[in-house]
Amino acid sequence: MDWSPIWLSVKLASITTLLLLLIGLPLAYWLSKGRSVIRLVLEALITMPLVLPPSVLGFYLLLAFSPQHGVGKWLHDTFNIQLVFSFPGLILASVIYSLPFMVGPIKSALQQLPASWAQASYTMGKSEQETFLKVLLPNIRSSVFTAMVMTFAHTIGEFGVVLMIGGNIPGQTKVASIAIYDAVEGMDYGTANNYSLLLFAFTFVIVTTAFIFNRNKAKSPLE
Amino acid sequence: MKSIKPILTILLLALSVSTHAQTIKVAAAANLQSVIKVLGDDFKKRSGVGIEPITGSSGKLVAQISNGAPYDVFLSADMEFPQKLAKDGFAESQPVVYALGSLIICSTENLNLKKWPQLLNNDQVNKIAIANAAIAPYGRAAQESLAKLDLLDKVKPKLVYGESISQVNTYITTGVVSVGFTTQSLVNDPANQTKLNWALVDPKTYSPIEQGMVVLKNSANKADAQKFYAYMSSASAKSILKKYGYIIP
Repeated sequence: MDWSPIWLSVKLASITTLLLLLIGLPLAYWLSKGRSVIRLVLEALITMPLVLPPSVLGFYLLLAFSPQHGVGKWLHDTFNIQLVFSFPGLILASVIYSLPFMVGPIKSALQQLPASWAQASYTMGKSEQETFLKVLLPNIRSSVFTAMVMTFAHTIGEFGVVLMIGGNIPGQTKVASIAIYDAVEGMDYGTANNYSLLLFAFTFVIVTTAFIFNRNKAKSPLE
Repeated sequence: MKSIKPILTILLLALSVSTHAQTIKVAAAANLQSVIKVLGDDFKKRSGVGIEPITGSSGKLVAQISNGAPYDVFLSADMEFPQKLAKDGFAESQPVVYALGSLIICSTENLNLKKWPQLLNNDQVNKIAIANAAIAPYGRAAQESLAKLDLLDKVKPKLVYGESISQVNTYITTGVVSVGFTTQSLVNDPANQTKLNWALVDPKTYSPIEQGMVVLKNSANKADAQKFYAYMSSASAKSILKKYGYIIP
């Protein structure tokens, strides 16, 4: 069995999760601080990949990445980067696509913390950054973990966008979900079954781990 | 209860109308995407039977048919897939060639495609789209041609694979690839509004793309399916196919 699609999926999901952790933490914190119109609009935009068909994102990314016009042309002419049909392009797409899975849980966890905790820290002269890192963050540990697990699992499960902008290149953009589709279309059901079983078991373990980790809280890891 | 009765009547009427509407489902290879609608309109004018085209790569359609998809006729992009269906007992008729496909190389960029074999190694050409050879006969032909010209290994890092010839067409017309190997019907399609630069791939470099068709066992409307099957070999169907760049046997 060719392991490269599985390895590629794991690599894509790991990098995406790490990047989203760096982006998601400050973003979720900023969103949790108030209810201005900008925050509302931005939060709506972040949540949209949850409900939009992947084909919408795939279509716009295809146009945006095209080396013949717009951003794609600029990237190609200035840095000689072509994002479409490349692994970095998949990472960018996954970051956008999985953004709500990272930001959502962290933001709602932050909002559920009593406001007095941060206020107490401020009165003792601690900076906002220190308060976030040493008071707020340790108290939402489990939510952050859940968000990471769900982001990871969701990226492993990504399909439609990759199908549209990936180009099915072995070792570069042929991730596990695409390899399965490919095998089914080629009527190679044995290979499709091997990959599918592996993904099934793998994601089951990941999601179960998240449930176990949160069992004391007795709530769904989706919250 | 009284008020429900008229609604029920209308519902039942609507149901009976939709089941008796004369249409057949035609599973058509992706290279036929634009011409199939024209063929369908012409067939309807002549026979009163409409067609519902379902397009995709030939391999995908065969996988669907082998698993019970309720299609009436299958128009493939090669002969192997219809022959496989006939062998496995999914076909009602013997496979017949209805057209020969013509492979072209195509681009939105201003490239000298007449000399494309030299061009592909050039830095000017960034990505090259071909269809997945396992399921799309045009992809198979493109791969064969590249291998014959001793280019396949050299350009492999530049290749991107479309799941059907339609996806290759998307890659070409949006300009995300420099060049792509596709069907001539793309450039002969009046609906295509992208300005395309193209050249024929020498037919000596690939085995002829004999496109075959069969009537399917699963057909719910065999009489009309047979009519369409016969129509595809008629003079009027041939002239439409010819207009779209197909070679008629």
